[in-house]
Amino acid sequence: MQAWIDFGQGPLFRLCFALMILGLMRIFILTIIGMIEAYNRNEDKIVPFAELIRLTFSWILPITRVWTKRPVYGVVSVLFHIGLILVPLFLGAHVLLWKNSVGFAWFSLPHALADNLTLIVIAGGIILFLMRAIYRPSRALSRKQDYIWPLLLTIPFVTGYLAVHTAFAPSAYQWTMLIHIYSANLIMVTIPFTKIAHCVLMPLSQLVTGVSWKFPLGAGDKVIETLGHKDRPTWVKEPRVALDEDSLSGKEIASK
Amino acid sequence: MKAILTDTTKCIGCRECVVACKKTYDLERDVPRRWGTDDGLSARNWTSIIEKPDGKFIRKQCRHCIEPACVSSCPVGALKKTAEGPVIYDSKRCLGCRYCMMACPYGIPRYDWDQPVPYVRKCIMCYERLLDGGQPACTEACPTEATIFGDRKELLAEAHRRIKENPDKYINKVWGEHEIGGTQVLYISDIDLSCLTYGRPLDDKPLPSRTTAAMHAVPYAFVGMGSAMAGLSWFIGRRMKLQGNSESDTKDEGNE
Amino acid sequence: MNRVQNFKLILWTIIGVGAAVAAARFIFGLGATTNLSDAVPWGLWIGFDVMSGVALAGGGFVITATVYIFKLDKYHGIVRPAVLTALLGYVAVAVGLLFDLGLPWNIWHMIIFWNPHSPLFEVGWCVMLYLTVLLLEFFPVPAAEFGWLSTIRNFLIKLRMPLVIAGIALSTLHQSSLGSLFLVMPFNVHPLWYSPIMPIMFFVSAIGLGLMMVSFESRFTSYLYRKEAETELLAKLGNAAKWIFLLYLLMRFGDLFLRGQIGHIFAGGWQVKMFWVEIAISAAIPLILLSIKRVRTTGAWQWVISIMAITGIVLNRINVGGMVHLNRGDTFYLPAWTEITITATVVAGAALVFLFMVERFNVWEVRPVDPKADPSTLPEFDYASQASLGRPLIAARTKYSLAFVFAAAFGFMLLSNQSLSSEGVIAASVEEARGGDTLWVDGDLDGYGVSFQHQMHIDKNGNETSCVQCHHMNLPLDENTGCYACHRDMYIPTDAFGHDWHSSPHGGNLSCFKCHQEDQHKNAETAQQCDHCHDNLYPAGATIKVDNYHAPGYVDALHELCIGCHVKLIEETGSPDIARCANCHNDQRDVVEAVDGTKENILIGNVALP
Repeated sequence: MQAWIDFGQGPLFRLCFALMILGLMRIFILTIIGMIEAYNRNEDKIVPFAELIRLTFSWILPITRVWTKRPVYGVVSVLFHIGLILVPLFLGAHVLLWKNSVGFAWFSLPHALADNLTLIVIAGGIILFLMRAIYRPSRALSRKQDYIWPLLLTIPFVTGYLAVHTAFAPSAYQWTMLIHIYSANLIMVTIPFTKIAHCVLMPLSQLVTGVSWKFPLGAGDKVIETLGHKDRPTWVKEPRVALDEDSLSGKEIASK
Repeated sequence: MKAILTDTTKCIGCRECVVACKKTYDLERDVPRRWGTDDGLSARNWTSIIEKPDGKFIRKQCRHCIEPACVSSCPVGALKKTAEGPVIYDSKRCLGCRYCMMACPYGIPRYDWDQPVPYVRKCIMCYERLLDGGQPACTEACPTEATIFGDRKELLAEAHRRIKENPDKYINKVWGEHEIGGTQVLYISDIDLSCLTYGRPLDDKPLPSRTTAAMHAVPYAFVGMGSAMAGLSWFIGRRMKLQGNSESDTKDEGNE
Repeated sequence: MNRVQNFKLILWTIIGVGAAVAAARFIFGLGATTNLSDAVPWGLWIGFDVMSGVALAGGGFVITATVYIFKLDKYHGIVRPAVLTALLGYVAVAVGLLFDLGLPWNIWHMIIFWNPHSPLFEVGWCVMLYLTVLLLEFFPVPAAEFGWLSTIRNFLIKLRMPLVIAGIALSTLHQSSLGSLFLVMPFNVHPLWYSPIMPIMFFVSAIGLGLMMVSFESRFTSYLYRKEAETELLAKLGNAAKWIFLLYLLMRFGDLFLRGQIGHIFAGGWQVKMFWVEIAISAAIPLILLSIKRVRTTGAWQWVISIMAITGIVLNRINVGGMVHLNRGDTFYLPAWTEITITATVVAGAALVFLFMVERFNVWEVRPVDPKADPSTLPEFDYASQASLGRPLIAARTKYSLAFVFAAAFGFMLLSNQSLSSEGVIAASVEEARGGDTLWVDGDLDGYGVSFQHQMHIDKNGNETSCVQCHHMNLPLDENTGCYACHRDMYIPTDAFGHDWHSSPHGGNLSCFKCHQEDQHKNAETAQQCDHCHDNLYPAGATIKVDNYHAPGYVDALHELCIGCHVKLIEETGSPDIARCANCHNDQRDVVEAVDGTKENILIGNVALP
């Protein structure tokens, strides 16, 4: 058991951590290269940078965007993200691990704050899951991984909390630790290859939309013409769910 | 030219010289490391005592050859033979090629293998102390005058005097008098000191002279090879022209 | 998937692992990432990356000489790949050297600090100059793609003859000077290899190796891009190489004969076997095979011969570079996996650049036409707007980058914590030495120790009350705990506390609060000290107070314990000898025996006296 924990904290952690960092760098660079290629192909090379930057910042704090329509979602989401980022990086015990292995450490959160943030993340994860499952338009847009992620993300938080507050732990400490370490490693591996990559792609998303999605007017018709499909209908399939008027507007869906 | 004479018959193996050396240069405590050798020298031990059976001790240190192989081989002149005798090291010039370590027939220079910024380390005969008119820390520390400091000629005379006075006690040889052009650390002994060298027995020819011929040939080789090639090219070209075969010579103007 | 893409994927994978190792190399130093040592200062990186790299790149000057000096125009088609191979080879040498140098950022010192006596100085300068010459020689090929470079290009083409001649002369110098490097070690290099004419032998073998390398490179790229192999041309090269190999063999054996060392070839020892293997595959067998016309004109044999000769001459360089040095006999050097990875990475990088160049520029008469050789995920032509979309910046980049990322992460996983952090200290566990009137204190049982007059120390220091001067701490319920119980390694500090041991019998994690405060970070600084629970750890009046859980290594602990008192004693007794190393390290095991009378009275670890 201890050997498995050591492996998870040592070589496996290095593997997963490196994979996460390098994988995120990779996806970031690939996105930029793709953007440059798309830009080179564009006929219309005018890019509204000021507007794109404004949009990017407004989406980084989505409260402003969703506050009017879904205030609960906005608040929960932001709190969830704050805990999700701060706790793994600045938890005292984690900082100590870094200090013991690589020799340098940084600021660490007060114990009580970290505890409360952890609880917020757990609660937030569950609430986000439920909202996604209950709210119809969200459900319509959701894939399987969208349901799995909020729950998977809370696993290391639950086990981490239990590892600190051993009085509540239902199982042996080492089992808690094992699940904590391996679930965290799993999350780190999957980050660059799933939608969680938005942690680095977020600042790019508006830019990509603005720079690359520029087809010349009537390009679609030309494609159909070239393919010889003039007689076919242009809209093959009806959307599964008709969007309500007070739900997300089309523009917002596109930029998601 | 200053020199050190070590009389192994007088050495009691107290290691005061080692301690004095360490104190003078603030050398850290040494422990056996993977890259160490069994003679006790290391980047942190510039002199060492080799124990031999029957309570014999040999002090090992840089021999400060009169024509040092390390000095002649260092590509940037980081090792220098001073007028006073010591072979000193300029860490600011060094680029870490370790050719000096390969070239030394006594295997003296050692390396900071554990450091990310490593230097070559070896005895420099306390050059600063010599400049101040003093003597090396090791000879000063020796309680039995087993290792003494002085002018090379006087020490050689002293060595021969001791051997003459006690022909039964000493082997009739002053180590360092003639080998590879002579060294400035001399030994007289009652046991064979060939353990101080690696490989085959040394002869009296200075090591740098082995490469001199090749190095002197360099400019001639360059000019010779260059003019030979130019001449050949001209000759062959002309012969081909005379044979009316000249198209191939001139046709490949711009297509490359 | 096709050959080119698979090959590139493999190269990117190697580079990925190499990137992780390279990071470790520059953060932790040479000791952590190589098996080099004070006895073996040069290893694979010099033997292969530098010495062999330069020789492998010898094809450049051989082929330029053939085409431009000897005007053998039929070889014109292989000039540009040969020059490119040479150029990349030298770049690889420079990069490989950066890994091997202890202070790579000082490599430019060779330009300003001169030592013309040093063969390495000469090699360094020649390599720098030749690299420049190769760059200028090759520059017109990529420059042909860019119109605005045409002035420079035309100028360089006019300059071709001087460049070629300078390149040949420079190659002659440093190919031979690599041999001169070892002239300064006549007593270390094995007599079968050491020779005053090593420089000339290096030069000749470099010509042979250059020809073989051109042959291999041509065959390999033909295979890779499915283009027709230049079998006939390579056969002619082979025919020329034959004479080079013959010359080389004559020189090796003639030299041995003239120096009177010929007897060594029949002596025993692994070096002699190595000599025969090397001679066989570097020259003898290739010579025989190349002499047979039917063999040298067959494609498959060209593979065999070129690979064999390349291996052989590389082996020669590695041998001379350190393997057959006599002083290395007792220190066995095997490259660490990290060293091999870096070497492979440098080669892979050069190969990738080579493929890039042949795909993008007119290195060959025709660029590789295999449609799958450079597949793109995006169409090059937009049918809708009838416009060219241009080639993708980097084809199949998602695949290659994925391979790189996974390989690099794998590399970080393989780099072990321990080998990087322990600074090469050899761990040696400590054996017990306790009880008795006289102790032979030799913790690691290596035979070197200290005879410690236990009873004498008790008598001199005031009988029973003096115990605490040395026995500063006792394990619970113990009264004279031996040093080894806490100082468990000879040289490395050990954890004297045993965290897991304490937590498990007290209910695992539930016991934390017994030592740690609930609302504090749980680390050593904030925990309760041992004596919070164990009130009998320190004997009353103990002279040494322990305030942390790290026990120094055994040697350090005992040295500090003894030397401190002995230094004080110098003043009291007026005898400086009492604090000398030799006072204790006198190896008087016999005396110990004599004092106590019988061997049985002396406890030496768990081992009886010899």
